Amino acid sequence: MIELLKLSKQYHAGGVTIDALRPTSLVIPQGAFLTVMGPSGSGKSTLLNLFGLLVHPTTGAYKLNGKEVSSLSDDETSHVRNQTIGMVFQSFNLLSHLTCLENVCLPMQYARDRHATMKARGRALLDQLGLQGRYDSKPTQLSGGQCQRVAIARALANEPPVILADEPTGNLDEQTGLEVMQIFSDLHRAGKTIILVTHNPSYETYATHRITIHDGNVTFKNEKSPSHPA
Amino acid sequence: MSILELFKTVYASLTRHIIRALLATLGIVLGIAAVVAMLAISEGGKRGIIDQIKAQGINNIILKSVKPETSSDPKMDKRRISSYGITQKDYHHISTTFSHIEQIVPIQAFDTGVYSGQNRTDIFVLSTERTLFEIINCTLADSRSKPFPGENNGIFLPSCYLGVEAARKLFGHRDPLNQDVGIGRYSFRVIGLLEGDGQGRIGGSHNINNVIYIPLSMANTIWGRSRSVAYDYLYIRVKEVEHVSELVARLKSYLSVTHVNVDYELQVPYELMRAAEKTQRIFTLVMTSIAAISLLVGGIGIMNIMLANIFERTREIGIRRALGATRRDILLQFLAESIVLTFFGGALGIGVGILTAYGAEALAKWNGDLTIHAIITPESLFVSLAVSVITGLTFGTYPAWKAARLDPLIALRHE
Ligand SMILES: Nc1ncnc2c1ncn2[C@@H]1O[C@H](COP(=O)(O)OP(=O)(O)O)[C@@H](O)[C@H]1O
Ligand SMILES: [Mg+2]
Repeated sequence: MIELLKLSKQYHAGGVTIDALRPTSLVIPQGAFLTVMGPSGSGKSTLLNLFGLLVHPTTGAYKLNGKEVSSLSDDETSHVRNQTIGMVFQSFNLLSHLTCLENVCLPMQYARDRHATMKARGRALLDQLGLQGRYDSKPTQLSGGQCQRVAIARALANEPPVILADEPTGNLDEQTGLEVMQIFSDLHRAGKTIILVTHNPSYETYATHRITIHDGNVTFKNEKSPSHPA
Repeated sequence: MSILELFKTVYASLTRHIIRALLATLGIVLGIAAVVAMLAISEGGKRGIIDQIKAQGINNIILKSVKPETSSDPKMDKRRISSYGITQKDYHHISTTFSHIEQIVPIQAFDTGVYSGQNRTDIFVLSTERTLFEIINCTLADSRSKPFPGENNGIFLPSCYLGVEAARKLFGHRDPLNQDVGIGRYSFRVIGLLEGDGQGRIGGSHNINNVIYIPLSMANTIWGRSRSVAYDYLYIRVKEVEHVSELVARLKSYLSVTHVNVDYELQVPYELMRAAEKTQRIFTLVMTSIAAISLLVGGIGIMNIMLANIFERTREIGIRRALGATRRDILLQFLAESIVLTFFGGALGIGVGILTAYGAEALAKWNGDLTIHAIITPESLFVSLAVSVITGLTFGTYPAWKAARLDPLIALRHE
């Protein structure tokens, strides 16, 4: 379960203060599929990076599974990122000099897993995502859709309960985008909490909860939107 | 991340740009090569020179007669110049009045040719007393050797001892004992064989194994009248090495009064050794400085390449942090990269250094110079590797620290 309490983020750039996220309170239950929509520069990535502990909030509290995580030390934050959160990016963010399998194994390396278990699990994940036989391929030898599937396998490596995806289909054609959305839908059905930033309104059909952001203001789309304390 | 994973990561990163990695370590390679080559050559030189000096005996003082420069002064009488050097009076005075002397032995040298068949050999003829063999640490090479004749030997049969090398030159594989050797117009019976440290030199010039030793008394009887020098050398063995300098000082003051025309030379292996050791220390100091400078330059090269490397791989750092790498993980990764770089640079440098050292030796030999000798000690290799690793550690720390301090999100967004 994810709880935000009056969480906000301001940026100060060149004497100007930008409210990337105005104070927002919301609760996302475990197993929810939340889509985040909004125009460019509205604060979607900022919200996602707050969820992913890649930025510190300016004000407010962030509870992950009941634990306050916005004031953890750098090491503890790294540990939460490693164990609880899986991140998927628009530009895949694979390391080009490593093989697919090595990329998938990265989070397990930082979890200090045993070498053999790591490789076995990495292969199993790649198989699960339809990448049998591509273990030793470099990302440059793969298509965009395949790259994104490697990235999703990597996000799943340490079996995190939460998957964050920032426009994961933004670099893909429509057909491939749908395939990737199907993967997220399957993961949701398997019990993962999915938070997905997208520009495509049709993807909202996969969601259990939907929000939109305008100029850092979060609005809830319908009745099925996350409850928020008054 | 485990050590294994760490090294796999480092391997994957470094093998991306092999040429760049090689160039980055060039400074280290050359620095370590210089260290290894110089250590090898200086070690060889040290052992060579110091062994040679030690072979003279560090307890010994050698007083040598030297023909004084012929003076252009017409008043200088020819007869006075024809007789020079250490006199019997000197020998007597030194042996009776100076303390700390364990043994003192006079030596006469003869430039009489020694022939093997028709060919003149380079064998040298010396007359001396039995105690010399102890002073220059020679032992009997043949147990059948008869005692070296002393002062009051009744029988007068010209007899001699042979150094093993002289024996080989004169008799090859034949038994030299009881054979005769012709020296000048006289024939000497070989009654003993001597062997000593092959580096030992009488008066610093004649290999002790390549000499015919004849008893002093016999030589005096045969050639005594025709000589212009009473003794060519006086070998003095001092009881304790601490007294060498003191005795040298007293000898100098005695000789400066009695031999104003300086027809002598003092050879003091102990002082030569001290001087050689001092030279060695200065050499080592200079080499260490040169090595330090090359390693500093090499280290800065490593730091430079690592900073560029880290800038180029900012996004990778962001990705790794997003996946859960701690600052320590990042720090270790980049530190390991610079250490692996310098370690292999060092290993390469050791290879180049060894080749250089042996190459220098071979080149010198080819040119007929036998003084350059390379000795590679295991310690020098260990020290070189340790130095390379320490260089990597020293100059890799700042870039690695910078990498670890990067903000994860800013790094992730880096283009
Ligand atoms: N590091 C930053 N420094 C200053 N301003 C930033 C920074 N990151 C984001 N912003 C600003 O915050 C706002 C929201 O950005 P972002 O969350 O990336 O929008 P979106 O992902 O919806 O396009 C934008 O106005 C952007 O310029
Ligand atoms: Mg964005």
